[in-house]
Amino acid sequence: MTFEKVAKIIADFKEIDVSEITMQTTLNKDLGLDSLDTVELIMSFESEFGITLEPDASLQTIGDVVSMIDKETKK
Amino acid sequence: MIHSGICSLLGIRYPIFQGGMAWVSDASLAGAVSDAGGLGIISAMNANADYLRTEIRKLRQMTNMPFGVNIMLMSPFADEVAKVVAEERVPVVTTGAGLPSKYMKAWIECGIKVIPVVPSTGIAKMVERMGATAVIAEGGESGGHVGDLTTMTLVPQVCDAVRIPVLAAGGIADGRGIAAAFMLGASGVQCGTRFLVAKECTIHQNYKKRVLEAKDIDTMVTGKRLGHPVRALKNKFTKEFFNKEYDSSVSNEELEAFGVGALRRAAVEGDETTGSFLAGQAAAMVKKEQTAKEIIEEMFAEAEAVLNGARKWIK
Repeated sequence: MTFEKVAKIIADFKEIDVSEITMQTTLNKDLGLDSLDTVELIMSFESEFGITLEPDASLQTIGDVVSMIDKETKK
Repeated sequence: MIHSGICSLLGIRYPIFQGGMAWVSDASLAGAVSDAGGLGIISAMNANADYLRTEIRKLRQMTNMPFGVNIMLMSPFADEVAKVVAEERVPVVTTGAGLPSKYMKAWIECGIKVIPVVPSTGIAKMVERMGATAVIAEGGESGGHVGDLTTMTLVPQVCDAVRIPVLAAGGIADGRGIAAAFMLGASGVQCGTRFLVAKECTIHQNYKKRVLEAKDIDTMVTGKRLGHPVRALKNKFTKEFFNKEYDSSVSNEELEAFGVGALRRAAVEGDETTGSFLAGQAAAMVKKEQTAKEIIEEMFAEAEAVLNGARKWIK
């Protein structure tokens, strides 16, 4: 469920088809996101999931984002 | 005299930072700026822990005034220099090229005031939440790594987005710029280009000459394709880089390789054809070599005159 929501937010942000996004998709190389884009997305995830996130350089793939969100929502 | 919250917060006399510029901002320049009452900043650039430690200790021999270290988060040595600033109890750390999340907690715990350079309101809000003391909102007029927004638009928006003090950077090289920054809501400024020609700045004389001779249209931005655009003075190197950037037969790796060492060739060797002379759009406003003290005092005397005269517009 987390993945679907994350993929939808990113697809809307990037104006791409949601089917192009998988757990292995990388933020930087595949999606071409820079640190500004990443922060905007993090803020969208925060309001979608009602959590606070602390992004750092370890966030490489959509899978990393999903597990960070899951970890926070379980708290 | 111009005094703002940032002065009391950091224990400095003038609300001005000298930007952390790779191959430029060493102990000599930063020490002179701090000694003159501004906040001098040593650039940790892409160098290792030993380099930074040596520069910090050199600066401390020169002055007892507060100073800062700029950490470029993309540096391969970011982890080790992040430790050095904590061990050396550096008063202020500014960061660039990303989010300093990983290091914030440790730095704040040892009393360091963290002041990130931010290119957007989103990043400003994020670092405020992480405990930043202030932020530097840097517009794309600046030299070196640049964002898209201009100082005129970014500064007021960042001021509205956060409650911590905001310093304005990008395009500020005289007292009018300082006055304007205050009018936009900033409580201080960061300048880089003007300090390139400080007498205490140890860069090659050719670099200073290029800045002093620059015209308003003499800078350009390259490197957008690689995701980290950079503003520099136009020369053979920047023009070649620009052409390669728009040549699809040149790979990103080849483009990166072409840029390697260009900053050092400009700052250390003064190589006017293959060096990358980073400078902001305000380069043309920089007219003479002066000591850091003269630069700061002149800029603030001008700012005071401009601000004092501002009432004339109100009828």
